[in-house]
Amino acid sequence: MTGARSLEQQERRFALALLVPALAVLVLTTTAPLVYLGWNSLHRIDLGMPWLSGFAGADNFAKMGSDPRFWNSLALTGIYTASTVVLQVLVGLSLALLVLQIPKGQGLLRVAAILPIVLAPVVVGLFWRTLVLAPDVGLVDMVSRAFGLPSHNWLGDPQLALISVIAIHTWQWTPFAFLVLLATLSTLPPDVYEAARLDRAGAWQRFFHLTLPLIRPAIVMVVILRTMTALSAFAAIFAATGGGPGSATEILNLYAYRTSFAELNLGYGAALAIVLMSITLVISYLMFRLRRARR
Amino acid sequence: MRTAAPPPLPRVIALYAIAGIGLAVWAFPVFWGLLTSFKTERDVLAYPPVFVFTPTLANYREVIFGASSIVPNLVSSLVVSTLATALTMLFAVPAAYAMARLRFPAKRGTGFYVLATQMLPPVGLIIPYYLVLQKIGGLDTYSGLTVIYLTFSLPFAIWLMVSYFEDVPLEMEEAALLDRAGRLRALWHVILPQVKGGIAVTTIFVFLNAWNEFMFAVVLGGNRVRPVTVAMFNFISVEQTQWARLAAGAMLAMAPVILIGLFAQRHIVKGLTVGAVKGGGRR
Repeated sequence: MTGARSLEQQERRFALALLVPALAVLVLTTTAPLVYLGWNSLHRIDLGMPWLSGFAGADNFAKMGSDPRFWNSLALTGIYTASTVVLQVLVGLSLALLVLQIPKGQGLLRVAAILPIVLAPVVVGLFWRTLVLAPDVGLVDMVSRAFGLPSHNWLGDPQLALISVIAIHTWQWTPFAFLVLLATLSTLPPDVYEAARLDRAGAWQRFFHLTLPLIRPAIVMVVILRTMTALSAFAAIFAATGGGPGSATEILNLYAYRTSFAELNLGYGAALAIVLMSITLVISYLMFRLRRARR
Repeated sequence: MRTAAPPPLPRVIALYAIAGIGLAVWAFPVFWGLLTSFKTERDVLAYPPVFVFTPTLANYREVIFGASSIVPNLVSSLVVSTLATALTMLFAVPAAYAMARLRFPAKRGTGFYVLATQMLPPVGLIIPYYLVLQKIGGLDTYSGLTVIYLTFSLPFAIWLMVSYFEDVPLEMEEAALLDRAGRLRALWHVILPQVKGGIAVTTIFVFLNAWNEFMFAVVLGGNRVRPVTVAMFNFISVEQTQWARLAAGAMLAMAPVILIGLFAQRHIVKGLTVGAVKGGGRR
């Protein structure tokens, strides 16, 4: 008995020896800075006017209530996240279901799908700003001019700019949903479908009663991962519009960045970052709860 | 009895048309960027667009040897990404093994902690890092950037490696039930060779993410340490955009990740699905 006990103890010690370095690094590089972020959010830290800096209590958070730019960025974060995630899953799933049926050439599409994923978001943003969306000479306007349609200032008009940055994000990350769902779909056992086919179940019925329940875990996981990416989206928007025109594409992440590093108001920026972080944690908690409840 | 009857021809054509549109939408902007990088600035702005033109290497010459050379930036990116990847793997692999296979107190809590650190929005980290590094003179240094890169790569690498360790058949562990030196030796000689593929995939992902990082680089970098993602803005100013040079610079900067993507294509898809599909079945 003592042998088994000391074995267990040994295993525990070994586990700790392997774990502690990584955990120590994580605590030092993520948790400690977060505590400092919280502390900063209670201060006025204005690098433009350093003499005004000092403890401010909850002033930064109180200020948000009457800050229209904050509410605007919060609404934009919601619109941006919801629309990009829904679009990615819908387009990615539809495309995966269709591509699954083509006998040859799936490989080519899989290679093409890798391209947007591996590109740096900042390069994607710059590419779209110049080659794709530039008025008159960008790809989109060239096509629309060829059809006799008018050209648009895709990134200069506030409403079009929001649509454009949503399109950019959707372009880059739909391949992720597509590849994951295609891989999941191709692991489903074909005999299930055969049985359903003999039952004369229609294609839609087969999809909703057979396919969808089987791939639900994968869809939920895609939604979770894509939501996290959308909430912390930055570089592509920064490169394409910089959050503008005005604050038309300024999601909370960009507002916190601009406040901190363009307006040099790091205290208020820290408070905004705290809000963004709380939203992220609450949403991810709810999604993980949902995932477990559904199983 | 009709089992898998071949779909009718019009349907096949429609399917290929849709797949073709998907292909074009994803690949064409990149292909267009490649074409543009060989054009003169005048050809770039031609309408109707020119597909046949006299290719020029002037843009590449400029972004490699010229005044706006991005070679120093490629070096910066390479140094930071390599350092961050090496450190990440050094810490992540042992931790992931323990989390996947060993019994220890507060195992669940540890898992959640690692997951939670992965959820942190980068803008929340950049502010304290900026303030601290500014105080200790760590702005515009390789070590400053490398440390903050660990914040997103370490949790990610741990979770990905956990899923690979979980795939190793349990019988392999029998060998590990020895004394402590035996455990370490078993991990090194028996278990690690089993997850070679997983280590390779994780390394590729971590490197790719570090290479592509932008927000940390633009704030914590400077004139000495300026990764290539930041240098892309050299070609864009309020007065004018140097389209062809930007395209050439972008192609050069993205060549490593595109090549990795194409060669490691299968592994990347597997890596994505390991994270997603297997993650769906965990706990």
